This record gives sequence, C-alpha cells and structure tokens, in this order.
Amino acid sequence: MTEYDVSNDIEAIVEDADLPRRLKDEVYETLADRDVTTEQADEIVQATVAEYYNSRVDPLDPVGTVSAQSIGEPGTQMTMNTFHYAGVAEIDVTQGLPRLIELVDARKEPDTPMMTVYLEDEFAQNRERAHEVVWKIEATKILQLGDVSTNVADMLVQVALNEDTLRERWPTVEDPVEVAEEIAATIESKLGVETRQRGLVIEFGPEQPSYRDLLQLVEELREIVFKGIEEISRVVIRKEETDQGEEFILYTEGSAFGDVLDIEGVDASRTTCNNIHEIHRNLGIEAAREAIIEETMNTLEEQGLDDVNIRHLMLVADIMTNEGTIESIGRHGISGSKDSVLARAAFEVTVSHLLDAAIHGEIDELDGVTENVIVGKPIKLGTGDVNLRMTSGSGEQAD
Amino acid sequence: MVDVSNHTLVPDHTLLDDGELEEVLEEYNIEKTDLPKIKRTDPALPKEADTGDVVKITRDSRTTDQAVVYRLVVE
Repeated sequence: MTEYDVSNDIEAIVEDADLPRRLKDEVYETLADRDVTTEQADEIVQATVAEYYNSRVDPLDPVGTVSAQSIGEPGTQMTMNTFHYAGVAEIDVTQGLPRLIELVDARKEPDTPMMTVYLEDEFAQNRERAHEVVWKIEATKILQLGDVSTNVADMLVQVALNEDTLRERWPTVEDPVEVAEEIAATIESKLGVETRQRGLVIEFGPEQPSYRDLLQLVEELREIVFKGIEEISRVVIRKEETDQGEEFILYTEGSAFGDVLDIEGVDASRTTCNNIHEIHRNLGIEAAREAIIEETMNTLEEQGLDDVNIRHLMLVADIMTNEGTIESIGRHGISGSKDSVLARAAFEVTVSHLLDAAIHGEIDELDGVTENVIVGKPIKLGTGDVNLRMTSGSGEQAD
Repeated sequence: MVDVSNHTLVPDHTLLDDGELEEVLEEYNIEKTDLPKIKRTDPALPKEADTGDVVKITRDSRTTDQAVVYRLVVE
C-alpha cells in the first residue's frame, strides 16, 4: 500500500512499470494530485516509461569521454587561486581547481587537511562538555599554557604556567599543581633534562652551561605537545542547526581521523574529514568512494558549477576505487594501467612508454579508442562497433 | 576500535553465498574476477569474509533509492 491517494488499479499499473522507485513516487504524486481514470493513468505511466528508456545511456555510448568533458569544461571556469578563509568558521580550506586536482590525483595529504567532528548527546548540547572534547583534540603546546623565559645568569629556562589556562584545559583535574607535575614529567621525558618544580613554575637548564644549548632547549620545548593530537593545530567550535536540532560541531585545522573517532564524546557515525585516504584507512573503500563523490561535488558547487551531473562524479569515484584501493587518475594511476601501449604513450611521457614497450616486446591489440585514433581506424564506439555479418553456407541460395 | 558500519558513509556489506553468487555472475554474464575489488583488510568488511568471497553492497544511491553492487575480496 502506498501513502498516496490513488486507487488499487492505478497502484498496480505503476508498480508493474519498469521504473526506479524515485520515478514511481513522482508518478504517484502527479496522479494523486489530478483526478485521472485508470486508462489515463495507464497512458501516463506508458509515456513515463518511454521517456525513461529514452533518457538512458545507449549501448556503446562513451560514458567516460562524456564524463571527462562534462567535468573538464566547468573546470576551465574554476578559480586558479586558493581563497583563504573561505570555508566554514574561518578555517582555511583549499577550494576550486587546486582542490579538484588534489582529489583526482589522490594526494596522500590534502593541502589543507580538516575535519568536521560531530559530538554525541550531552557533548553536542552543552558548550562546557563540547570544550572538554576540544581540549582532547587540539594540540596544546607550552606557549598556550604560560610564559617561557630564559635566565642567562643561572642558565635556566623558566616556565610560569597560567593557573586559569590549566584549569580550563584540564577540567577533570582539581589541583593545577598536579597538572604542573604532569607537564614537568613530560618535559623531562621529551627533553632528557632534570626539572625543578615549585608550584606552577618549572625550571630546567642544559647539563653544561652553554648559551646555545639553552636556546636549543627553548626551541624544543615549544614543539612538545602536552595534550591533544599533534596534527591538529586549531579547533573551532560552532553551534549549528542540523537534522538533530541545534548542536555544537567542531571544525579542526589538520586531521587525524582514526584518533579522533576513538575519543569519548565524538560521534563516530557522522564525523568526517577531507582526506580521502584517511577515510579509506578507517572506514573502507566504499566510504572512500562516497567521500570522493561528496568532496568533488562540493568543490564544484562552491564554485557555482552545480549543474554538473552527479553521475559523472560517481563514474570517476567508481573508477578510482575499482581495485579496492584509491587510485589516481593520471599516469601513475588509471591511465598508466591501460593495456594499450599507444594509449599510455598518448597521455604523458610518450617516449619512455614506447621505449619500455619495445624492450618488453609488448603488443597493442588496438581495442581502445585512443590507439585507433592514432592509427586512423574507426573507433569501436557507438555505430563504430556494429558489424554486419553474413552467415555462409547454411542459408538458401537465391535464384 | 569503533564500529565503522554505523558510519553514515559506510553502506551495508553482506557476504554472498555460492548460490547467490552464481545468479549474479549469470545475470551480468561475467567472471568473478571481473567484479570490482575490495581488500581483505578493509575495515567495513564483515569479519567472516575471506579472499575469494564476494560481498554485496547496498548503497543509498543519489540517482535511485538503492543501488546494489558487488565486490570481490582480494588478498
């Protein structure tokens, strides 16, 4: 039984039609709005089916070439330069053509890695609790915790920790001095020095009095991550309206997808990042395919090129994930794994492909499009792949 | 480790038995090795899947409501 107000006869007609669910629903909607007889409904359904068949891709249609053109042409209208701070919440995200190239090249690291972290239950509703997650994610370095000064007379590095900051960043620890002890221990293990701690002040110096070693220690001290995830340099917290009502969402600069999913309070079912390799590692190849489609479409949409049909991007994502790993489009990926020597040579670095092929005695079967264009034969696409054959012998002889 | 199958980006992966596999190959007139691949180490793969098995993936499609695809488990 459908939720639409149509008679059982009409429903049977629509259900029997060879149409996808979405079109059937649309037909129901149209029929329910109008007062149609069963015969009229049948006609409408017939016409819809005919139109649906017409709009399908014909056999032997070069869908890849059409996709390449359909993505390539809008690509010429995209911005060449990255606009900074154009993304959400003042986080710098690569956009436009550079981002699209990055995606189809399947770069190991995006230029500007970022994550969108969704939170669970009370973490998403309460700003304080959301901040607890922020401090677990954002890398906390010494300069955020207090002042660092050098005492050249005594050859000492002095760290004066700020009590308020400690209370804020370690909300679960009662006594800031305890945190200071923890920090001192981290410094000892990372820098290999003896520290002296009095209250919230930590002091340490090089083994031999040397001005250079002293400065070196300060340099190294600045790099130590005391809390959070090293890769994530900044977290922005925003209240947003989503399907689940108003909630706090975190946007991060830098990404460590696997680590973040394990953190308490993070909603591991919605959190995403813009690094397709991280998605692949943590969620598998199907999720990576989804992410590629999502990211490429968003990149195009941001540039006002949303009339690119999603099917083209789906085809690209399908090809990139076909082997179970993410492959780039290009001579190191898809184009480089073509069977035909001539097709590979026509793409990039012609000479080395031909040379390698000659050394290995490769044979080109001339099956594909590119190689047949090169040798001037009709390509096997559309009407080019249809042959007429005559059966010999068995047929009746004409007079 | 978190359960990845709950993530919105991850569609349903189910293991095909031999009978179903036969039907699929018959329908498309292909060999098992012609199917797209999925690594055995893939986090979204059902635990019991082994190399040579075929998984059925039911995606929420953007162009139709559900799309069914198959992937062959490799190494």
